[in-house]
Amino acid sequence: MSNSLVRFSHVSKRFRLGETHDSLRDLFSYGLNRLVGRHNGCARASTFWAVDDVDFEVTGDKPLGIIGPNGAGKSTVLKLLAGILRADKGSVEVRGRLAALIEIGAGFHGDLTGRENIFLNGAILGMSRAEIRSKLDAIVAFAGLERFLDMPVKRYSSGMYARLGFSIAAHVDPDILLVDEVLSVGDAVFRLRCAQRMRELVEGGTTLIFVTHNLDQMQSICPRAIVLSEGRCVFDGTSREAVGHYFSAMSRAYVSRPGDVQAGDVGENDAVELLGLRILNEAGEEVVWARAVEPLRAESRFRLHRPIERLVVELNMRSSSSENLLSVNSGRDGVTLNGTIGEHTVTLAMDDIPVCSGQYFWNVRIWDADRGTAELDTPFRFPLVIDDEGRATGIFCVDHEWSFGVSEAASPSYATSSKVLSCADLPSR
Amino acid sequence: MRALTVPTIWSDLIGYRQLLLSLTWRDIRVRYKQSMLGIAWAVVLPLSMMLVFTFVFTRAIDTSSVLKIQMPYALYAYTGLVPWVFFSTSLAGCVNSLVANRNLVTKVYFPREVFPLSSVASSFVDFCIAAVVLIALMFYFDLAGEWAFAAHATLLFLPAVVLVQVALTVGLGMFLAMGNLFYRDVRQIFSVAVQLLMFVSAVVIPVPQDGSILARLISLNPLVPLIGAYRDCVIHGRLPDTGGFAYATTFAVAALIGGWICFRRASYKFAECI
Repeated sequence: MSNSLVRFSHVSKRFRLGETHDSLRDLFSYGLNRLVGRHNGCARASTFWAVDDVDFEVTGDKPLGIIGPNGAGKSTVLKLLAGILRADKGSVEVRGRLAALIEIGAGFHGDLTGRENIFLNGAILGMSRAEIRSKLDAIVAFAGLERFLDMPVKRYSSGMYARLGFSIAAHVDPDILLVDEVLSVGDAVFRLRCAQRMRELVEGGTTLIFVTHNLDQMQSICPRAIVLSEGRCVFDGTSREAVGHYFSAMSRAYVSRPGDVQAGDVGENDAVELLGLRILNEAGEEVVWARAVEPLRAESRFRLHRPIERLVVELNMRSSSSENLLSVNSGRDGVTLNGTIGEHTVTLAMDDIPVCSGQYFWNVRIWDADRGTAELDTPFRFPLVIDDEGRATGIFCVDHEWSFGVSEAASPSYATSSKVLSCADLPSR
Repeated sequence: MRALTVPTIWSDLIGYRQLLLSLTWRDIRVRYKQSMLGIAWAVVLPLSMMLVFTFVFTRAIDTSSVLKIQMPYALYAYTGLVPWVFFSTSLAGCVNSLVANRNLVTKVYFPREVFPLSSVASSFVDFCIAAVVLIALMFYFDLAGEWAFAAHATLLFLPAVVLVQVALTVGLGMFLAMGNLFYRDVRQIFSVAVQLLMFVSAVVIPVPQDGSILARLISLNPLVPLIGAYRDCVIHGRLPDTGGFAYATTFAVAALIGGWICFRRASYKFAECI
């Protein structure tokens, strides 16, 4: 067992919000203003705490996962550990040879060949020439780039680039390895090999600190995880429990109160005013996080200021990359509401939302079917985090099962068929 | 954050010498990739500058009566241009070294000194190649009968001159590299300043020695005795002027120590300010 150690004691790191002086002119005008006692905005650029009193310790062969929404401070923690940034408060103690994989191929130079870049990047990650030479074949084989070794990396595909980058870092054999969200690159086979390699390193005694959004991979490698949210550590414990905290932190990061009325919730000619859109679970509780398989209801409440005889409600859902995934329209289903002046509630019941884990956004449109006008069209600002419990990746998630059989030499018939995995069978988390 | 003491600097440098070599090698490799002449540019650049200045100062304008030099002008220009090109390309590399390697500065940790040091080191390789051509040039003028070739014992003093120049360049390079990281204006100011500096450093024309204010100002420039020292050792076969060379040495050591301390002190801010 290695005796490497990472101790992160009550560390805080502050960043400036505004731009600092980027040109000398700014500096001179700042100095001048200081002299005559005037302060401008540039001088008093406000700051925020990217990492706020985070405290953890990792020893030996127990890998740690760090998860959290974007902007929670995960990468800053790694940069503080790597010595790239210096903490404003607290102390960072690192014992052992540390390699940080914060960005794949950070030191690559496009004009150099793959082979040359292996030597360069290896040196950047702290390997000696002799060490790199002895590992060259392994690195190249792992990346699967034997044929392209003497090609400048600027002609590599992004997948080849990433494979080479990870492969070099995976062969550094550090005491402590920091990995930041790099395994989302490459194809599925390569991702599996990366995860396998990380497990091997952990078994070999490397202290792994792993930042990721891939919760399944994180759980399969790290028994322990911390959840960061807005720079603070909101959970430290088993990675299984951490996932739940991750989703609630994620909901908090995007919305404070989803039901709040905002600009855009009032229709253009003031006919309709949205009072709220709530997603409810079976128990009738408002949720911002749901499992893909559970029944949900979307309840929109609005107030009409003029009667709309044939009112149609439309609900749309988009992925976080703004793809339109779902549009349901009561008019299409032959349902219209006789809208009188006053408050109304329209509820849409859904058996499930069979999409893969991620953050989704809803909007509401209210149509006057007679005029054919959209009286209300909100932005896609109502978030819903869906957890598919690791069954699939991609866009949507279907019930599925696998069959496994041994084929006879001549006949390709399948002997047995057993239900291995089915959505409905999964225990709830 | 490591303390700035000679032992820690030394152990850092030893620990990262591999990286220093790799980055230097990368700079050289990248500079001459996809070029037909390749490493020959190290010779072609000072040589072509020599031809330009020889044309300007002996053909376009006849300055032979004004320039009091005891050697063929081309030889004078080349002995000035070889150390000058080393000095100016090193600093031009240093100015951009941190900003151009933003990815490494913000994503990987190692002592940041490696960046300006490797810029100077890769220019030093060019300097050595260009210096070899000087010997050929000296033979040429010997054969042409314009000048008598001689290998002087003072050549043994040459490493000391080179060392002083390296110290000066590294020191100034560190100031420039971090200056440009915080304020991009530094690069622009540098590109103008370096043009001016060339004409007041006895590179292609001797500096005025008439005791005027301008002459006294120029005499503060440590490059004047430094470049003069190259000519003294290689061409004239005499030791450099003690006072001038001592001044250049003091200046260089001060720049090196000052630059290194400031660089170390500021380096923890590099990743967030770049």
